Amino acid sequence: MDKDMTRDIHDAGQQAEPVRRRLNRRHFLAGAAAAAGAALLAACGGSSATNTPKPAGATSAPAAAPTAAAAGAAATAPATSGSAAAPTTAAAPTTAGASKGKTLKMARNAEPQSPFIPWQIDDNPCLFISVNMYDTLLRTTKDGLGVEPGLATKWEPTSDGLTWTFTLRDGLKFSDGTPVKGIDVKTSLDMVSKRTKSVWKDNYKAIKDIQTPDDKTVKMTLSQPHAPILAELAMFCSAILPAQLAMDSDKDGFDATIATKSKGTGAYMLNGWKKGDPLVLTRNPNYWKSTTGIDTVTIEYVADDNARILKLQGGETDIIDFVPLSQLASLGQQPNITTRAFVIQQSSFLILNNTIKPLDDKNVRQALNYALDKDALLKAVYFGQAKFMNSPIPPGTYYDKTLPGYPFNLDKAKQLMAASSVPNGFTTDFTIASGNNTAQQIATIAKDQWSKIGVTVNIQSQEASVVRTAYREGTGKLAIISSAWTNDMNDPTEIVNYEMRGGASPFAYWTRYNNPALNDKITAADLEQDPTKRAADYAEIQKIYLDDAPLVFISYPPATAGWQKYVDGFFIDGLSYYRFEDVKVNK
Amino acid sequence: MGRAAYIRKRLVLMIFVLFGVTLIIFSMIHLVPGDPAFLILGERATDQKAAELRHQLGLDQSLPLQYWNFISGIFHGNFGMSLLYKQPVNSLVFRRVPVSLFLAAYAMGLSAIITLPVGLWAATHKNKISDHLIRAAFLFALTTPSFWLGILLILLFSLRLHLFPVAGYGRTFPQHLKYLFLPALTLSLQLSAVLIRNLRSGIINTLDSDFVRTARAKGLTNRTVLVGHVLRNALVSTVSIFGLQFSAVIGGTVIIETVFAIPGMGQLLFTSITARDYPVVQAITVTTATLVILVNLIVDLSYSFLDPRVTYE
Repeated sequence: MDKDMTRDIHDAGQQAEPVRRRLNRRHFLAGAAAAAGAALLAACGGSSATNTPKPAGATSAPAAAPTAAAAGAAATAPATSGSAAAPTTAAAPTTAGASKGKTLKMARNAEPQSPFIPWQIDDNPCLFISVNMYDTLLRTTKDGLGVEPGLATKWEPTSDGLTWTFTLRDGLKFSDGTPVKGIDVKTSLDMVSKRTKSVWKDNYKAIKDIQTPDDKTVKMTLSQPHAPILAELAMFCSAILPAQLAMDSDKDGFDATIATKSKGTGAYMLNGWKKGDPLVLTRNPNYWKSTTGIDTVTIEYVADDNARILKLQGGETDIIDFVPLSQLASLGQQPNITTRAFVIQQSSFLILNNTIKPLDDKNVRQALNYALDKDALLKAVYFGQAKFMNSPIPPGTYYDKTLPGYPFNLDKAKQLMAASSVPNGFTTDFTIASGNNTAQQIATIAKDQWSKIGVTVNIQSQEASVVRTAYREGTGKLAIISSAWTNDMNDPTEIVNYEMRGGASPFAYWTRYNNPALNDKITAADLEQDPTKRAADYAEIQKIYLDDAPLVFISYPPATAGWQKYVDGFFIDGLSYYRFEDVKVNK
Repeated sequence: MGRAAYIRKRLVLMIFVLFGVTLIIFSMIHLVPGDPAFLILGERATDQKAAELRHQLGLDQSLPLQYWNFISGIFHGNFGMSLLYKQPVNSLVFRRVPVSLFLAAYAMGLSAIITLPVGLWAATHKNKISDHLIRAAFLFALTTPSFWLGILLILLFSLRLHLFPVAGYGRTFPQHLKYLFLPALTLSLQLSAVLIRNLRSGIINTLDSDFVRTARAKGLTNRTVLVGHVLRNALVSTVSIFGLQFSAVIGGTVIIETVFAIPGMGQLLFTSITARDYPVVQAITVTTATLVILVNLIVDLSYSFLDPRVTYE
């Protein structure tokens, strides 16, 4: 589940931002066990057709795998400088480092809105802060393809895949110095997986029971084998809070301001914050991992893209995010500034209502796909910074990079139209959210290009919330809507269940597409424990869905940021998170 | 009627006006399509979850009942909970009121400082080159969109001259003065454009009056005539416009606060409207309406200080 909404809210305020984050969240992780496999992940990413993690763990080698994961993960993610490799360093105090005593200033595009309670967070600005405050049992590796140790250093399943045992680090403490107890872990995981206040509980339906026989051991029983469980436990929303705070947050009328005085296990702490003020993160003295990161991070919220860029140019801030793609190159040419587009698991597409004539005709949907010149869009709209969308699953675990997508082919589009239920073309509405420049540009180009296959488009610009409500309700008038998605977890189960499974809300991303055979395959892939078989399942799912073309596939847009050259180590991962503990200030 | 009775009458009228404001804003925001439950829960929320949330927020109640809750809340000084931020609206809105008021007052103060000398100069140099230049320059400021004018000022004063910060609010009062200078200047340039035109023509008209000729005839210095007699008379209509422009300035803060990242009401209003955060929108509207009414009352009262002939009926 997820939230997109909040993104649209900020979108409307940022006229110049080409990549709208109306997407969703991030997170993921490798398919099945990922246990021994972080190192393997990188290797197979380059060679196999699908980006299969091939985690050796899970059912095949349950016992030996887990500890190897630590070393493997560290090897594939050198920038974390051994973060994962020292599973038992637990309470190691922070060491003096290059950036000790220094402050990092960042200007972000939008303020947090949700309470700082991990499972209640449903907006990006809040979760970007929360991953720095709260730690999870597992973490997603930097390449976004596997998991590595977080609070837990070992994990192993029983041979039936129904019970997982996690071993926590020694001497874990919350930022206020109180030790992390079994009850804290149990309560937090119960909250995220069972309580109605958890925005993310649908991701944890497989969890039947959690027990903590002692303060270092977590036994998790599943109702059925569930391959994505490790990826889910690396999601930000499953972070561990003190039991009392977790329970308080579940009560009606909980005052969210209490959660701004953080008691987490993450690298940084928040000592209160009021909306409208800059947000100040200070180093957590009880953090389990030794880091050389900066001591204080001050985050200012500057909604206007130009104002953020000017602040960076004027030297008032060290890092900004959401640099518009149109300005990424020119800003990066300034002598003191570096800009970068990070590949994240994000895709941008048009939603078709598959139940309305003539969009219920697969020939028509494929024709719309072929008739749209994606290369032209990538150049004109994304300034060459986005990638062609060849598969419905964005580049992450089990992404099939060999799929062809729908490259521009006007002849084929014309043939498909001729064979369709509307050989003479048709007229449709194309609804976009006002203020979304990217959607506006895509719609304008599509209108022109589709006219060549006899499709007449009426572009309608409406307020984001109106667009959203309309397509959720499946109003007949609305046919094509520009939207996008970001993975919240490093496993395709999230996007596949949301975007492709039909029959019930959310009706395959509100397309009303419903393919019972595909629905069954989606269920089977969730139950499959063997990573190789699971890879085959997802390869087939992607292929079927692509061929049915419930969407018009457009691009994989990047996440962008710019920073002063004296800043080092800033990195946005595949789920679009960043951790300040890895950032250094060299001035 | 004395001044006190007049104030009492205006305050009573204010209650009716505010009642009208609540009715209009409540109807408008509930008429606009868009469901806050979807906005809060996000795109991936299921219909069932949205229904649960609507019930929890009281959005499944009838509109008259919701309106009654809103009105009775106001009488208890409580605007409810923000749907988006899950915090009491009062604390969310009221700590931003001083920020926006400060910005508006700063802008109006700057525009007064700009208007008086420039308007006087333009009027006394009627149709000379400097007069034309002044009028052209302020016409430019008036017709330029404020978000663009603001960025031009940032480029000049912040990036080129390094005199003022690009954006933000600061923590202490001297910092506020510094951070808010450029946004206030942006607003005040546009406001001054209106005021200077008005003051200039007011002064030119007054200069033709008999009493000015009399004052000059009895040998008063040019300065005394202008400041003591002409300006005081010409200012009456300018002050009235000045007061009425308060609402325009408050409206302008919505854009300016976004461009300059100032945590005021305008920025919050923008977010809240987009998010259909009904209680926050209602609270800001009622607060702003109250402020505008009060400022207008003060403007009306100021006439009698500028012109003793004015009486209140």
